[in-house]
Amino acid sequence: MELNGKLEEKILGLIAEGIPGKFKKVKPTHETNLQKELGLDSIGMLALVFRFEEVFGIDIAQLGIEINIAKLRTVGDLLQAGQDILTQAESKVS
Amino acid sequence: MEERQQKDFEIIDCHCHIAAEEHTPRSFIEGSIANMTAALTAQGVPVNNKKLMTMFLSKMQDPLCDALVAEMADAGIVKSILLIADFTYALKDCVLTIEESFHKHREVLARHPGKFEVFGGVDPRWGKDGLALFERSLTEFGFRGLKLYPPCGFSPSDRTLFPYYELCAHYHVPVLLHIGPTSPVLDFTFSSPFLLDEAVRLFPSVNFILAHGAVSFVEECTMMCRFRPNVYLDISGFEATLGYDPSAGAIKAITSVGLNHKVLFGTDFPVFRLQGEQKSFVETLLAEDGPLSDLNEREKLLIFNRNAQRLLEKAIAVAA
Repeated sequence: MELNGKLEEKILGLIAEGIPGKFKKVKPTHETNLQKELGLDSIGMLALVFRFEEVFGIDIAQLGIEINIAKLRTVGDLLQAGQDILTQAESKVS
Repeated sequence: MEERQQKDFEIIDCHCHIAAEEHTPRSFIEGSIANMTAALTAQGVPVNNKKLMTMFLSKMQDPLCDALVAEMADAGIVKSILLIADFTYALKDCVLTIEESFHKHREVLARHPGKFEVFGGVDPRWGKDGLALFERSLTEFGFRGLKLYPPCGFSPSDRTLFPYYELCAHYHVPVLLHIGPTSPVLDFTFSSPFLLDEAVRLFPSVNFILAHGAVSFVEECTMMCRFRPNVYLDISGFEATLGYDPSAGAIKAITSVGLNHKVLFGTDFPVFRLQGEQKSFVETLLAEDGPLSDLNEREKLLIFNRNAQRLLEKAIAVAA
């Protein structure tokens, strides 16, 4: 699935917001490891999910969308998951 | 896929729990969630305890350990030690009694032959009933150790525990105890490793494992392991440090001081299930540039397998 450019930009913005100061200089690519290169631990991952919900105006749990945070290893995984969640959300609402 | 060093050993995870809410009091979980909410709201993240609880509980739906066994296979973990922490004396809102919890663990042992060992935990304030349950767990249920959770409100050198240590000496099984902070509903003043010192001296034939020894009271745990022949530590909980120290420098430090015959691999599953899978944690440790990259194969073998094997084999021989 090809990502919409604006969507990618928004998600990358969310990631940048959540990166601890120590890792601010890292320029994330699709291959960048979320934990090892961006310092995103479980709190950081949760923060990303909740900010994602806020920005896109959805409630993942309420919509019954399955999301396995543990499987998200790279920025690319996260972008794909974001796209999948929004697609599922759209189909559930319509 | 991250690069991974060649390994030719089978991994034993010495610190796991069943991922099911029924073994843990709701207040214990709520305390941990409150800490997460505080951290997130301070960052301006829109979240509340209820929402976090829902996410956390979604990772606690594996009462028979089928998902854990799948994750173990994926990670190259051949065996995990399931620990039963007895919170039921200190906190009164656990779904299962401690005896029921023991039976559920026994069912898991039977369901997945060879995949697990169990260390049963009993709060010493349960008196003779608790002691009898612990002995039955060794003689009838096939459990292989004692798990203690001092922040529930007792010192690991409290005399009420001595009959338990006598049983451990008799049946040649180790004791693993929680070290360091935990859910805020419990008492951190009992979490220091030095509180164990008297018991360690009085029961020299019993082996004691300091859980999370590479995360909390690291200097004290290292000292205990270095100077007490019957004290070990496990590195479980290292995942909590990866946010600010992604290269796991704490693990590198603790495995660089000549103590690798005392260090045990552990993950504390399912505590970090929102952060990664078992495979990702093993890969972090074994990466080419990971914290164990300076160790030789013999040292890695000790940490990932042999140290745990050595502690378990005496008990297994007794049961056989």
